[in-house]
Amino acid sequence: MTPIPPPVLRLEEVHKSYPLEQEEFWALKGVSFDLHEGEMVSLMGPSGSGKTTLMNIIGLLDRPTEGRYQLRGQDVSRLSESARAAVRNRMVGFVFQAFHLLPRLSVLENVEVPLTYAGVPGRERRSRAAERLEKVGLGDKLGHRPTQLSGGQQQRVAVARALALNPALLLADEPTGNLDTRTGAEILDLFEELNNEGVTVMIVTHESAVSERTRRIIRLRDGVLDSHAREVA
Amino acid sequence: MAAVIALTSLGSGVTSNITEVFSGLGTNLLTISSGSAGGPPGLVRGGVRQTITTEDAEAIKELGDPRIAGVAPTLQTNAQVKAGALNANATVVGTWSDYASVRNSAVEFGTFFSDADTRSRKRVAVIGFDIAAELYPDQEASGQRITIQGVSFTVVGVLPDKGAGFGSSNTNVFVPLSTYLQRINRQTSVGAPTVQAIYVQGASAEDLDGLVTDLTLMMANRHGTPEPEEYDFRIQNQADTLDSLNSVTRTLTLFLGAIAGISLLVGGIGIMNIMLVSVTERTREIGIRKALGARPRDILTQFLLEAVVLSAGGGVVGIGIGIGLAIFATLFLDITPGIAVGSILVAFGFAAAVGIFFGFYPAQRAARLDPVSSLRYE
Repeated sequence: MTPIPPPVLRLEEVHKSYPLEQEEFWALKGVSFDLHEGEMVSLMGPSGSGKTTLMNIIGLLDRPTEGRYQLRGQDVSRLSESARAAVRNRMVGFVFQAFHLLPRLSVLENVEVPLTYAGVPGRERRSRAAERLEKVGLGDKLGHRPTQLSGGQQQRVAVARALALNPALLLADEPTGNLDTRTGAEILDLFEELNNEGVTVMIVTHESAVSERTRRIIRLRDGVLDSHAREVA
Repeated sequence: MAAVIALTSLGSGVTSNITEVFSGLGTNLLTISSGSAGGPPGLVRGGVRQTITTEDAEAIKELGDPRIAGVAPTLQTNAQVKAGALNANATVVGTWSDYASVRNSAVEFGTFFSDADTRSRKRVAVIGFDIAAELYPDQEASGQRITIQGVSFTVVGVLPDKGAGFGSSNTNVFVPLSTYLQRINRQTSVGAPTVQAIYVQGASAEDLDGLVTDLTLMMANRHGTPEPEEYDFRIQNQADTLDSLNSVTRTLTLFLGAIAGISLLVGGIGIMNIMLVSVTERTREIGIRKALGARPRDILTQFLLEAVVLSAGGGVVGIGIGIGLAIFATLFLDITPGIAVGSILVAFGFAAAVGIFFGFYPAQRAARLDPVSSLRYE
């Protein structure tokens, strides 16, 4: 019998507090869940629910105040800033609402950025970046500037960039928020396709039209998981 | 940066200029001239009564002091010298044969005149480079005849080119002092014929101070002026003159360096300002890069590199302008600027160092930005 592989992601009683004027504000009050290899989930919740805070912690942009966070079995909740950057680089692929491409770099160079920080040598960097862009259907736009592309195309570049280092988790923050319905649907099609190939995807959204397309929905309310909510199997 | 190059080039140019001129005049050189001890240094000579005589020079020579390497009294006048149809304006100097070694004036062609020539009042002459070129453009000057104030002399030697600066012998004509006194000019305000100066060369630099003391006592005795206030002569040590001149140029170079340093500081603060603005403007980019896995070190390196490129680029432009300015200045100042490859490299290194020094604070700020808030920065 083969041992069961550890979950891609495991949160145990994660708390996060921000100091306010007099007392502390607890944005997260004990969040626990697992995410398994090949899952596609959406993280939902109204504004103020702690959704963004949780996403920042999962994306290693921020640290939990209390609790444990494991990525592929490794405890990453107490790492130094440099070590977190290295884990973020290799394990997490970000897709943002506002695309967040670097305007002065070409499409190809944008996808090369995470590879550069991973220390991949130049020739291999270019061929890998080109391959990822090919995959998202932009193989003919390598030398373009981001501003020369449509919103949907820019988001595809961002997806290619997120996938550059085969991350454990593709983390998308309102990926369709700046796109029209049709283009947004196309991006979700792309996520679905990637997920079918085995990429673990987490989409942070407040649109039920988006969350309906994932097999599992994690709902957050006032810093805790919404226990009344139904998790779609 | 331009200022640094231009100013230090000129500064070191002046210093090496002065040192070169002085070493060309002879080493361990003492100058005995007329005038009171407290008077102005020997630049203004018009009103000074001539009190130094050939007998003083002979007395010094007869001391046979081992600390003295040579003695050469001089008398000079401006005169026209002729050779055939050609003529030239020369400073005719009457002196002794020691002059060649004492004033570092070895001949290039022929020989300097000898003590025997002086004793027998021979009509022989050693001529400067420019005089030879003017009077004998197409032929060897040695052995030719020239006429000074109607008196015919035989050229026995030609001096090498000493340049056009202060103390150059290029337009001089040297003749034995005895011949000069007999044929050209003679002044005897105090009995024996007077000379303008007696040059004494010391054998070594260490003995020079003692030699000055002894010569001063001896001259005071000879002139019957026991008290320093009554001295009618002055003994100058060239090393002292060189020292004081050098200290002036040192101060000058230091002053120029201070100005250059201030301009570096201002430039550095300018770079820091530009980089701080750049970091603020690119907060979002920094956030994105951090989200993609840039460590603080990567961000620090990126911004430091930009600062260095900025300042080194400025350095290259500045070095160009500096060299241009230094060359431009020489058109008016008659100073050979000391543009050394070394100083250019140092200046370039300095520019890069300024970039690192003043770029560090902005780069560190960039590296320490919080990824969450910088991603949200508008």
